[in-house]
Amino acid sequence: MNTDRIKKLIYLFIIAFIILEGRLFYLQVIKGDYYRKISEKNHIRIMISNPPRGKIYDRNGILLAYDEPSFQIYTYPYLVKKRFDSIKKDLEKILQIKIPEKIEKKIKNGYASKVIIKKKLTQNQVKKFIDNWQFFEGIFLEVQPRRVYTKYARYMPHLLGYVGLPSEKELKENPDLTTDTLIGKSGVEKMFDRYLKGDYGAKAVMVDAKGRIVRTLWEKQPKRGSDIYLTVDARVQKIAYEAFKESGQKSGAVVIVDPKTYDIIALLSFPIYDIQKFSDGLNKKEWENLLKNRYKPLFNKALNGIYPPGSIFKITVALAALQEGVVAPYQKIFSGSQFQIGKWVYRNWDPRGCGKINIMQALEMSCDTYFYKVGLDLGSEKISFYARLFGLGEKLSPEIEQKKGRIPDPQWKISNIGEPWYLGDTVNYSIGQGFLAITPFDSTKILVPVLNGGYVLKPKLLKAYFDMEKRRFVKVETQRIRKLQIKRFFYNVIKKGLYQVIYGERGTAKLLSLAPVKNGGKTGTAQVFRHKKRKEKIEKWYLQNHAWFIDFVPYRKPRYVISVFVEHGIGGSRTAVPITKAIIQKMYSEGILNEGR
Amino acid sequence: MKVGRFFSGYDIYIFLPVVFLIIWGILNIYSATIHEYKNLYLKQALYGIVGIGILFIFPRIDYRKVVNISPFIYIIGILSLVAVIFAGTTILGAKRWISLGLFTIQPSEFMKFVLIITTAYILGSRKENINTKKTLITVLTVGVPFFLTMKQPDLGTAITLLIPVAVMLFVGGLNKKVIYGVILIGILSSPFIWDHLKDYQKKRIIAFINPEADPFKSAYHILQSKIAIGSGQITGKGFLQGTQSKLFFLPEQHTDFIFATIGEEWGFIFSSFILTLYLILGLRIFYWGIKVKDPEGKYICFGAGSLILTQAFINIAMTIGLAPVVGITLPFLSYGGSSMITFSLIAGIVLSVIRIHKSQKLYFG
Repeated sequence: MNTDRIKKLIYLFIIAFIILEGRLFYLQVIKGDYYRKISEKNHIRIMISNPPRGKIYDRNGILLAYDEPSFQIYTYPYLVKKRFDSIKKDLEKILQIKIPEKIEKKIKNGYASKVIIKKKLTQNQVKKFIDNWQFFEGIFLEVQPRRVYTKYARYMPHLLGYVGLPSEKELKENPDLTTDTLIGKSGVEKMFDRYLKGDYGAKAVMVDAKGRIVRTLWEKQPKRGSDIYLTVDARVQKIAYEAFKESGQKSGAVVIVDPKTYDIIALLSFPIYDIQKFSDGLNKKEWENLLKNRYKPLFNKALNGIYPPGSIFKITVALAALQEGVVAPYQKIFSGSQFQIGKWVYRNWDPRGCGKINIMQALEMSCDTYFYKVGLDLGSEKISFYARLFGLGEKLSPEIEQKKGRIPDPQWKISNIGEPWYLGDTVNYSIGQGFLAITPFDSTKILVPVLNGGYVLKPKLLKAYFDMEKRRFVKVETQRIRKLQIKRFFYNVIKKGLYQVIYGERGTAKLLSLAPVKNGGKTGTAQVFRHKKRKEKIEKWYLQNHAWFIDFVPYRKPRYVISVFVEHGIGGSRTAVPITKAIIQKMYSEGILNEGR
Repeated sequence: MKVGRFFSGYDIYIFLPVVFLIIWGILNIYSATIHEYKNLYLKQALYGIVGIGILFIFPRIDYRKVVNISPFIYIIGILSLVAVIFAGTTILGAKRWISLGLFTIQPSEFMKFVLIITTAYILGSRKENINTKKTLITVLTVGVPFFLTMKQPDLGTAITLLIPVAVMLFVGGLNKKVIYGVILIGILSSPFIWDHLKDYQKKRIIAFINPEADPFKSAYHILQSKIAIGSGQITGKGFLQGTQSKLFFLPEQHTDFIFATIGEEWGFIFSSFILTLYLILGLRIFYWGIKVKDPEGKYICFGAGSLILTQAFINIAMTIGLAPVVGITLPFLSYGGSSMITFSLIAGIVLSVIRIHKSQKLYFG
């Protein structure tokens, strides 16, 4: 070994430690008095101020959410600990504020962490607090923005989400947050928090032993958040809500999108809750009521609930069959009232059977036996392949979608159910039953590429945002994810079939032919429990089948895909179709929708 | 006397400072955290007991056996670093920890020990000249965990992984030209490294160079810590009497900023004593590095000594505003099980080297 180098190394470390020693001497001996004074007479404190969040508008500029200032009082426990009982009395006497036991405990056991005593002071209380400041030494008043939601926002609580202080977990994950920074906690407020939140302001101040500010050391001005425009049409959202509510159905979701751009026009989860109350803070009882409600108002069914799609999935199977050459567009197949594999019998929903029909008629009648055969010819792998191509079971926009649908295949069944894949599973799969499950939002993915010429697009919720640096609004463009290699003609075949669903003799959604605008669509009824006998009547809500309808309108140049999902809605034609009709009617009468050129 | 015989071969100039630092750490963590986290010091006491236990037991194990299996330990270390990527727990924006239910462990911390013994294994074997493919293998060996740790992101630990190995190569007689070459490459690639730093790391470095640039969080820590230490003056405010470091609680105070509490409550005289203690500890390990005959043992001593000295230096320099905040612990003093156990293992293996050396001298003259 190199002794010379070892010597050098030792000298290096000795010098390094002499430097440290010198610095310590400088800080503690030479400047010691100075620092001692700072630490005894004055304390440095960081004060965080939250800027106003950006406003949220709908696609036409209807205001949905904005901030207004609200006042709150807070303290640092070490300042008031010993005389808190008298302060408490004064607060109660002068401001008529009752201090909850929880907060009192926090103050008596705490030390240096800030404790908020009361939020949302009235103007009167603020005035009294300022007038009687001498009683409240160590208690501070600050402005905290309060999020206000407009009347249009009331119809989209799940979509907009809410704002709050970060949880411990969020603080740990993001080193830039402070315990006082307001952040978006769910929905749009969370998805686009990066635009809305702005940058919090901070001030380092020297305070004296009584907590009064002596001088400001540094200051960072808050930057207000950027305003955003959503793709949502607040009028349509309201229409969807009202249509659902007036139908008398209890629970479900409505998703309306533009197939050309995949703009999300409406996204409703039903029932809703009071977004303003929720944002301002619910009391214990209101919380419990929301949590106990059997229709789960807090759960965003449109994005987070997964349900078997039933017959709306036949659209995907039909396209796969055409593209794979399993059937030709006009080829007729005899489809009776039941279908048999070995000793297993699979029935058609309509005991009359369908007769000798082509694929468009099969869609019209939603003929199960036709799709049993076609599905078996395709095989489960091919069905899953096409489902995935359309973006089912995938988060096309990870920002918006939180839950993936479930696209089953033999491997999935083995590892999750522990059984091999039977032919019967393929039979069920081909009519959208069995293990397949998708979110109501996913259901729009079935139609969007069919209507826009085969493009799988990235769903979009943000239309534009204000760029603070460039001082102008930036429009968000639609992104193409992939183009499907399916013959254009086949899309028209499907569209024709979906037209027949409404205008055909044996269509399953004939009610919609009364709608003021020509449209097409597909019903779906998804079995929740296997009934022993077809006619067996079950009264309980949660045992009923789910009902679906996906519609596109106007027929010639589709501008909207409307997907209606009714949880335990018995049958697509029975509950989902009337809601769709009400939506189209209202959109028409309000001038949002017309036949188009 | 039984106790005397048990300790024969233990070097008291290493053993006692380490035990003292561990106990000292528990006391100061008690003072720093009792207001906000009631039970943290008990956890540290538990880690301390484990650490001291290692100091007692490890010297009785032949370090050569440990060095011989170091390639396997190295592989386990790398696998656990990879596991952090996939199953790690995120704290303060960085993924450094693996959660084992009751405890979270930080594999990169243990890697410090693993790299010292692995490098000793590579460099200390057979021929003495290290300007062969030995060096290349060493560079690869340290390179992998270095990049995995950088990615977490954990700049501080990554640097402290490199330093002991660099020192071992340096004293091992690495060719001068290679050293200059590496320094040149380092300078040339620094803009590239800068680009790969995370925002908060850049902020800390900027805050260090120019505290006015982003006074919040980064510079705030440094300023608070300087006020705390400075206000300790010559004799300190006394145990539990510190106000600065508690009122304006530094989130990392009990881990990385424990020296601020010591400076505030114990003053210049005692802070200097702690500094001197680290220096004695490090130089004493170097002293044995020179004396010990076995090359593997020599390398272990130089790796261990330089790691303890460097890490103490950087940590203290950071609390008194001489280095950017990089998030590394003060050996034996800072809160944290992974750091405590790692440094106990390092001190333990050094004691083993010394003990074996002494016993061989006894028998073979």
